[in-house]
Amino acid sequence: MQRPEEKIASFYHKRHRMPSYSELATLLGYKSKGAVAYVVERLISEGVLQKDRTGRLLPGSLAEGVRMLGLVEAGFPSAAEEELLDVMDFDEYLTPNKESSYVLKVKGDSMIDAGIQEGDMVIVERRQTYKPGQIVIASVDGEYTIKYLRKERELYYLEPANVKYKSIYPKDRLTIEAVVTAVVRKY
Amino acid sequence: MAWGSSSSFPRAILHIDGDAFFAACEVAKDPSLRGKPVITGKERGIVSAATYEAKACGIKRGMILSEVKRICPEAVILPSDYETYSLFSERMYAVVRRYTPAVEEYSIDECFADLTGLRRSLHMSYPQIAKKIKQQLDHELGMTFSIGVSVTKTLAKIGSKWKKPSGLTIISLRDAPQYLKIIPTGAVWGIGPQTSAFLQKFGITTALDFACRDKSWIQAHVSKPFYETWQELNGVMVNELNLTGRETYQSISKTKTFTPPSTDSAFVYAQLSKNVENACIKARRWKLSTPLVFFFLKTQDFHYHGYEVSLPFPTSNPLDILREINIYFPRVFKKSARYRATGVTLINLTEEGTLQLDLFGAVRESEGVKQVFESTDKLAERYGKHVVFLGSSFEAMGNAAHLGERGDVAARASNLFKGETKRRRLAIPMLGSVQ
Repeated sequence: MQRPEEKIASFYHKRHRMPSYSELATLLGYKSKGAVAYVVERLISEGVLQKDRTGRLLPGSLAEGVRMLGLVEAGFPSAAEEELLDVMDFDEYLTPNKESSYVLKVKGDSMIDAGIQEGDMVIVERRQTYKPGQIVIASVDGEYTIKYLRKERELYYLEPANVKYKSIYPKDRLTIEAVVTAVVRKY
Repeated sequence: MAWGSSSSFPRAILHIDGDAFFAACEVAKDPSLRGKPVITGKERGIVSAATYEAKACGIKRGMILSEVKRICPEAVILPSDYETYSLFSERMYAVVRRYTPAVEEYSIDECFADLTGLRRSLHMSYPQIAKKIKQQLDHELGMTFSIGVSVTKTLAKIGSKWKKPSGLTIISLRDAPQYLKIIPTGAVWGIGPQTSAFLQKFGITTALDFACRDKSWIQAHVSKPFYETWQELNGVMVNELNLTGRETYQSISKTKTFTPPSTDSAFVYAQLSKNVENACIKARRWKLSTPLVFFFLKTQDFHYHGYEVSLPFPTSNPLDILREINIYFPRVFKKSARYRATGVTLINLTEEGTLQLDLFGAVRESEGVKQVFESTDKLAERYGKHVVFLGSSFEAMGNAAHLGERGDVAARASNLFKGETKRRRLAIPMLGSVQ
């Protein structure tokens, strides 16, 4: 059993106009227009229908109500802000410790077997301590070099990732400047 | 004022000062510069900053570079790289903000921070917090900072100057007189040579002499800012931290030196036009307009010739300003002179938007042109500064400001990554190349 407002909405959407009072009587199954007027007054007070200045009926919330229903059924609601709380942008992803991060441009192929090519951007972090196995930036004779940090019998040295180059053993002291945390290459 | 106050730190104010900051940024980038006398300011022709090694050779700020080469031939002279210095500066503020949100960004290489009340939440004493901040700054930025901790800004600044470079000086309220009795009044923040000489006449030589004068004497003999300094030296915080950053400007200046010096009126005018454009860009960014401008031409022998020009209505439109300058430029420019710089100052800036119509409709005409500059500002935002500019600035825009050796630009602007342009680069300091 349909409610009166649903019957009117259905009429409105089929014919693209509001029904007359006599059509409403047929639609709602009343014999007297007084009964129709009673229902109409109720729907007007609820905002479902409206009347223009000459007394003709206009669709109130009835028109949009149906459309809203269609919208909701059409798919998922748009992305809500809460759903995006747990994502980060590339800045945060690549440089989680922003204040201690720096970039350098790679020259040469000494780290080619580690997948680091000429022209690559390496993102590095200055830290308090560095561990063997990390790819680090060291300064040797006033120049930066990128190599694996290795340790053998309490002695630290730098190892390239390319058989063409030899490992670097420090003469007196080895200064590690930073550790490589990411490599960025744009094509 | 009672020195023997019960608490050593009624307030805890930190002052942080980068040691030879610009030069230190260069050394932090390039390990080959470590331990060497390094100087920045090549493009200006004078020393902007010098490392302690350079200072040890007798090099001072503002010294002409030919003099530098004479007294210290091994000095490394570099062009300024303000982009990198600003990135390091932002990092300095960010590190301090890990400990307290109350940070005043006092200048590119200095800041104040309020640590009052943080001992409990950080589980550290004030000296310990300061030490931790210093360690992190030194380590993460790869250069040293000098820090002072005390109960007012003025005393904290005395602390950061006390031991340089890389000092950490804690001045409690109780210990303050011991420091003040050693430093002359002229070394106190805000006391200049004039006031210092004036105080000398009353037998006031040291900061402690000044601090110990009674209130009535101070109020009778010096103006309000010095009365405030006196209060701060006595441990009373009158100068609170400014946490909002800069909110407006009263005046905006743009000056540019060019080499070689020029006798060409069109070229000199173009330089001036470029400065006017730049000043207006800044004014529009801060939503300000100016009713009064001062412009000058500087000759090779360092003389200034200029005019103060009042405008028919307040504006931030360079065409309005240049129209008025055009009347006076021929009176200033002498064919026989060689010029090395031009400059312009927008004076008495006011908030834009309070518009008063004039009799002849010039304001309405200018309003129409306003949209043009709103568009150029948007273009600059998207494609970089000076992507469009006035025809009158053309000769100044086409060439670098300096020909010859002073025309060297900072390495960062030429060593680009794929995807970067001359106009826009990643906001992260680049240390150079690595092999």
